[in-house]
Amino acid sequence: MRAKINIYLLEYAISSLLRQKFKTLFTVLVLSALIFLLTSVFFIANSIKYELQSTVDALPEIIVQKLGGGRHYDIVTSAVDEILEITGVGSASARVWGYYYFENAGVNFTLVGIDEFEEQYKKSFAYAAKELDFSRPTMMLGEGVKSVMDKNYYKEYFNFIKPDGTLKRVDIGGVFSGDTELESNDVIVMSKDDAREIFNMSENMATDIVVKVANEDEIATVASKIKLLYPDVRVITKDDIKISYQNIFDYKSGIFLTLFVVSLFTFFIIIYDKLSGLSSEERREIGVLKAIGWSVSDVLKEKFYESFIVSFFSYMSGVVLALFFVYILKAPLLQNIFTGYSQLKTSFTLSFVFDMQTLALIFFLSVPIYVAATIIPSYRGATLDADEVMR
Amino acid sequence: MIELKNITKIYEESKESSVTALKNINLTIKEGELVVLRGASGSGKSTILSLIASLAKPTSGEVVVDELRVSKLFDSFASAYRRESIGMIFQKYNLIPSLSVSENIILPLVPLNLHVKEVEDKLLSVLEKFHIAHKASALVKNLSGGEQQRVAIARANINNPKIILADEPTANLDEKLSLHFIEILRELKRDGKTIIVATHDPLFFDLDIVDRVLEINHGVLL
Repeated sequence: MRAKINIYLLEYAISSLLRQKFKTLFTVLVLSALIFLLTSVFFIANSIKYELQSTVDALPEIIVQKLGGGRHYDIVTSAVDEILEITGVGSASARVWGYYYFENAGVNFTLVGIDEFEEQYKKSFAYAAKELDFSRPTMMLGEGVKSVMDKNYYKEYFNFIKPDGTLKRVDIGGVFSGDTELESNDVIVMSKDDAREIFNMSENMATDIVVKVANEDEIATVASKIKLLYPDVRVITKDDIKISYQNIFDYKSGIFLTLFVVSLFTFFIIIYDKLSGLSSEERREIGVLKAIGWSVSDVLKEKFYESFIVSFFSYMSGVVLALFFVYILKAPLLQNIFTGYSQLKTSFTLSFVFDMQTLALIFFLSVPIYVAATIIPSYRGATLDADEVMR
Repeated sequence: MIELKNITKIYEESKESSVTALKNINLTIKEGELVVLRGASGSGKSTILSLIASLAKPTSGEVVVDELRVSKLFDSFASAYRRESIGMIFQKYNLIPSLSVSENIILPLVPLNLHVKEVEDKLLSVLEKFHIAHKASALVKNLSGGEQQRVAIARANINNPKIILADEPTANLDEKLSLHFIEILRELKRDGKTIIVATHDPLFFDLDIVDRVLEINHGVLL
């Protein structure tokens, strides 16, 4: 019984590739490198997009900030009660947060104060609230902060320097993780009282107010009502933040687009070179094969096997290398282009996003095009009279 | 029986550089005959072999082999015809140097996708017949000229074709190896094969096994 795959033809295709091992190796290396680069770019972009989307999803619908001379000032907490009276508002809470510069490491931490009995506006804070010991100064750290503190030998507690120069000791209660790394990496969660003490903020003041609106269609109406109520505030909706994040992302992705275009350009030079014709040696081989009884379709099948092996192997190598580079090595160099705005400069793990569409796109951009670029000139060569080998 | 009827072959007919390789050739070769085509380089000997093997199409006229009009065959039929009926021996052997002797010999069988046992039986038979079984796994590039030619002959015979076409088969061989090749031809003729040898080697012209020597000059059969 005949096997469906012609093993002899496959063997011949492999031996043909090995016969030109340097050419084959070079092609595989170049193709793999291009596919690796493209796939890495897509993987990083997908992960960052996922991180950003998750961050945006976790945001409150409206943030209210007090402005003075165009700058952000603390807001009175009594505004919360007035905002709660606006129709459509689900909840409102005063946030206490700010940045703390840690000179030893040259990084900024984001300090967030939470209340034990308050409804938390982020899931990750709800987890931190459960773990936090509100009876004494304790804090929960994001992964990045924990790593920095460990490196600087702050294993059990940390002394914050208050604006008056005195120290505030806060014990390390543990590590908390957010829905995404971007969201929690540089964050320290502690009680609102501790945070206020570190920022020298009075009890009736907050950094800003977050408002949740049950019906998404009413966000704009509620925002305009708040603006009417407090003319000196800036009302930021979720959509505003989304646009702001998207702008940063789009700007950064321009750099990746350049890489993408360069990779495609190089790939098409290879394709053009292949399409430009067969070498005299290749033409002669096709002639010999035809003379000993191979048909045009046999020659094309063999060329298909050859090109498929090269391109598919390159595709798989490129993708596997990209997976390793992005998710194991954390994409050195490339990741920094996207994540340069992070407050904390420590590295973080990109979320694994398995996107079949991306893999399919790269597959269709590489394998079939390479196969076609091999088969087309072979077809031209195989359909010519093979009597050249006789002369 | 091989019949060439009013064959004319012009290469690159539509161009100014066109070359008329054959002019109005009529030739009949009976089954089992050994015919030598004699002529200088460029006289048209190889073109006749190409036309019989259906590797090229005549500009006019037709080639008929055992009532099959081979000059009119489509590619898939022409390749099947070559595989089953024609064994070709080339001047430069046209072997693939980096493949082993066995791998070269079974090349005509590759498209057939035969069962391994069937391929092995056919291979063993020609390896023994042409005395190269001891070199079966050697790479062709490591063989001498005479050994390479025996591999080429074995490849041409793996499908046990009725017709053997040899193009300048002794051009790259010394006298001793040429005589050895003639012995192989004698054996093939004894097997009843129709053999056409295109050559200008005088060694063939007075051989007892040769039935006819046909002179060709500037595409015309004399």
